[in-house]
Amino acid sequence: MQLHGWEAALFYVLAIMTLFMAVFVVTARVAVHSALFLISTLVNVALLFILLRAEFVAGVQILVYVGGVMVLFLFVIMLVQTRAEEESRVRLYTGQTWPAVMIALLLAVSFYFAMNPAQAAFRPPDAATTAALVDSSERTSAGAGSTMSKDTQEVGEQLYRQAALPFEIASLLLLVAMVGAVLLARGTKQEKYYE
Amino acid sequence: MLSFLLFVVGVAGVLSRRNIIIIFMSIELILNAVNLNLIAFSRYLELNKEVLMAKGLAVNPLSGPVFTIFIIVVAAAEAAVGLGIVIAMFRNRETVAIDEIDLLKW
Repeated sequence: MQLHGWEAALFYVLAIMTLFMAVFVVTARVAVHSALFLISTLVNVALLFILLRAEFVAGVQILVYVGGVMVLFLFVIMLVQTRAEEESRVRLYTGQTWPAVMIALLLAVSFYFAMNPAQAAFRPPDAATTAALVDSSERTSAGAGSTMSKDTQEVGEQLYRQAALPFEIASLLLLVAMVGAVLLARGTKQEKYYE
Repeated sequence: MLSFLLFVVGVAGVLSRRNIIIIFMSIELILNAVNLNLIAFSRYLELNKEVLMAKGLAVNPLSGPVFTIFIIVVAAAEAAVGLGIVIAMFRNRETVAIDEIDLLKW
């Protein structure tokens, strides 16, 4: 992932922003603040997608997550009263913080040992191919303006050709989820009305 | 590395918070970490396509974005159903704290 100059600087700024916002999501006392920090995290991840030249996925991320899912989250937070959490006497965490830290550390160690050989395998093979690689990467970054819409087109073609059946299944899944959510959230008063 | 750190923050949130809505948000964080990884690897494959093809490996850099889109779809469905469950639970129990919701305990 050879990023140069301002791209690398932008990547580090975005990465640090994303991590800080993620930590704030987990540690915020008020649930609404947590949701707002999560929106910031998602927008940062979308910007990282754009940096990695996946514009279509970035657009989907902003439309679906920031536009759809987060509005749903905010609605539910406002419907469900969490006033009590704002007072400092109420516990924010379950009593499982130490097991959680232990599991996170275990995950970190295992990821480290899993990533070491994999990273060695991902080095460019030798000098000649590396030169060709740098050449091709410069070509792609030079044509960044023209690849802007090509990515979307390619992803769309892939979705409708190779991944057409999973695409249909995903739409069915969304329908079932929508009906299920409506059924779950229906109150007893409405149930009497419909019966 | 960033993806992994985001994943760990999400796991810590799932395991330690008491508010069930914030647990859902942490799950979204975990899914985003995976998405970021998929896109990054797809970009890597796109850059090194010629090298890997020369070594005889079949490379399809576009499967990363496609998988990411499916993950976003499944995350949206999960959020809808999960929040429906939260609302139903709140109607019955008047709480969103997970250690007070013990319907499955015996």
